[in-house]
Amino acid sequence: MAFLDNSGDIILDAVLTETGRRRMAQGDFRITKFALGDDEIDYSLYDKTHPSGSAYYDLTILQTPIFEAFTQVNAGINYGLLPNTATDLLYLPTMKINELTGIDTNIARKGSSTASSLFYLTDTSKDTTSLNIGSVLAASGSRDHLNGTSTGRYVLLETGLDTGFGNVPAGSSTNRTSYLINNNLIDRFFYVFYDSRFIGSVLGSSGVDNVFNNTADNNGLNISFTLDSAPATSISIGLENYAAARVNVIPNGVVYTSDSNNTEETYSAIAGPRGVAGAVAFTVKAGLDPEYTLYGSVNQSFGSNTIDYIDTTVYVQGGTTGTQIQIPVRIARIS
Amino acid sequence: MAVTNYEILDLTQDVTTTRTLLHESIPLTGTIISGTYGTFPSEDNIKNYTHGQFQSVYDYPYLSSSANHIFDISIGYDEASPLSGSPGVTLEAKKINMYNQFSQVLLGYTGSTNTVRKFELDLTLDEVGAMQESFFLNFSRLITKDQIKKGSVSITLGTGSWATPFAGTKVLTDVSASDTGGTTNTFGGDYGLLYSSDNVVRGLVFYQAGIAVLSTSSFDVMTDFLSESAGTKSVAQVFVSSSITGACDALRHRVQNISFNNTTEINSTIYFCRVPHNKYNHSSNPTYLSASTIRVKNVATDTPVAYITTIGLYSSQNELLAVAKLSEPLRKDPTNEITLRVRLDY
Repeated sequence: MAFLDNSGDIILDAVLTETGRRRMAQGDFRITKFALGDDEIDYSLYDKTHPSGSAYYDLTILQTPIFEAFTQVNAGINYGLLPNTATDLLYLPTMKINELTGIDTNIARKGSSTASSLFYLTDTSKDTTSLNIGSVLAASGSRDHLNGTSTGRYVLLETGLDTGFGNVPAGSSTNRTSYLINNNLIDRFFYVFYDSRFIGSVLGSSGVDNVFNNTADNNGLNISFTLDSAPATSISIGLENYAAARVNVIPNGVVYTSDSNNTEETYSAIAGPRGVAGAVAFTVKAGLDPEYTLYGSVNQSFGSNTIDYIDTTVYVQGGTTGTQIQIPVRIARIS
Repeated sequence: MAVTNYEILDLTQDVTTTRTLLHESIPLTGTIISGTYGTFPSEDNIKNYTHGQFQSVYDYPYLSSSANHIFDISIGYDEASPLSGSPGVTLEAKKINMYNQFSQVLLGYTGSTNTVRKFELDLTLDEVGAMQESFFLNFSRLITKDQIKKGSVSITLGTGSWATPFAGTKVLTDVSASDTGGTTNTFGGDYGLLYSSDNVVRGLVFYQAGIAVLSTSSFDVMTDFLSESAGTKSVAQVFVSSSITGACDALRHRVQNISFNNTTEINSTIYFCRVPHNKYNHSSNPTYLSASTIRVKNVATDTPVAYITTIGLYSSQNELLAVAKLSEPLRKDPTNEITLRVRLDY
């Protein structure tokens, strides 16, 4: 008769982070909650077809080497475990940027030719009456840039089950209810994390009178986003210099219809049941000047002109689902 | 990305504190103290100072950054000692000052005139049995840590001739000291008595201060406690006519072994991180999904699985205060409820 495994509880030694040490020195060190992370895990290594059976499905994952704890401010958990209590979930939502053409003239898209993986944000501080950064960008393929005004362009974000057009579950209204709403997989807002050295504030969908659906005549699109200043929040991304804002979202009403005029693929980046949609834009921090030399590049040839720019990344995360996306942003001005 | 899913700790049930005493054995062999790093008395691991009030012993040539300070040696006598005012006395003021400095810090003052107490070879501090001439061994905090463990001290002194000092030895131990008795508490903390094998008290050890005070009585009968070109000296003659440095050299020549256990007090807070069976079975790790489909499942009824590698401990303001890592991924699914005991040491 073999012994039972009595390893039971697991004892772990914790290390203080920089913040923890500072709080200790200040005398207000108090731990009140915990979170679980799995950053090292690559779930694509889960082999559901292992010939030796289910006991071997996660063999490679269980052999994943784990890093020692870091103590830096970004030492923590990038991708946390989720507290969903439902055990019959097969799908979880993802977030995507909608860059489809012909939807709304205010939708920002990445540049078409030059540095095409970036969203451009204009800094007009060096614009003149004869030359402005917006026209320079537009003339050189960096179309549909952000200009940091409440009436300007925005990045359109959608969440949902991106299972592929034509696949199950289809993006119907019924499936939205059964797969997302009933499983509490609908975000009520997005957290937007931005480098406060370069970006002054976040503009976001107001959530009031905003609309994004295809229930108009002949399944045409209804889209209207009003940008308001997004309020700051204390949620931390754990990156130095990053601040956070909270952006309202609205139900994503673009749905699959079984008639001959299904328009979901024309209007939505999500190929499946859709959760929410939100708009985000950014304003350049006032007085940005030496930062171009310190953190960016200056006097860079751009078409027939020269520009200065700083590249930064904005992170957006669903407030409920934790689904996330990175928005690469290039802040540009006339040299 | 930001963590937004936390499990709240019940601070009345999920947090506890513990106090643990760790002990390390510290053996200091006489070869390190004398003779290993050069020729006696000018070894490279022995540091003398121009002020001439004490001598430092390192575990390696002290000019090296690898060297660690082990202990200091000094001598002194009370101004009421018979040795005080002897003819030909060297550095008398400094020897008296050293005695007074040790006694005032370790024992304090007494009487209406606030006179410095004398070291006594007993635990009563009744001004009977005064130890008026003493060797002082100040052990470094590096090796004593929080304190010397009571009842663990052993000092082996050579009592043979100068040429063969360890032909005879005297072993001093604090055999009567323990955590429950055999010590007296003073300004310098608890002290115990160092007995030789003939049950005679030959010195004191101050546990928290990490200082051993040795009586000269171990060497009283010897005529060649020190031998130099000018001749031999008894221990009393060394106290009178040698410099403090010279007396320290003579003692080092006769230290065969010093050993004790140190004590480190570790205060720990243990957080019981209870992971319910029905939560944290899914992940926001980007690899968890393929086309929005959970990779570890084939159909919805399959058991969800996630793997824990990290526990983050947060403040109420969502600040990450501490991080604990598992040694290997820990499988979490709805069939198991896990309690992770996360320990923070101070």
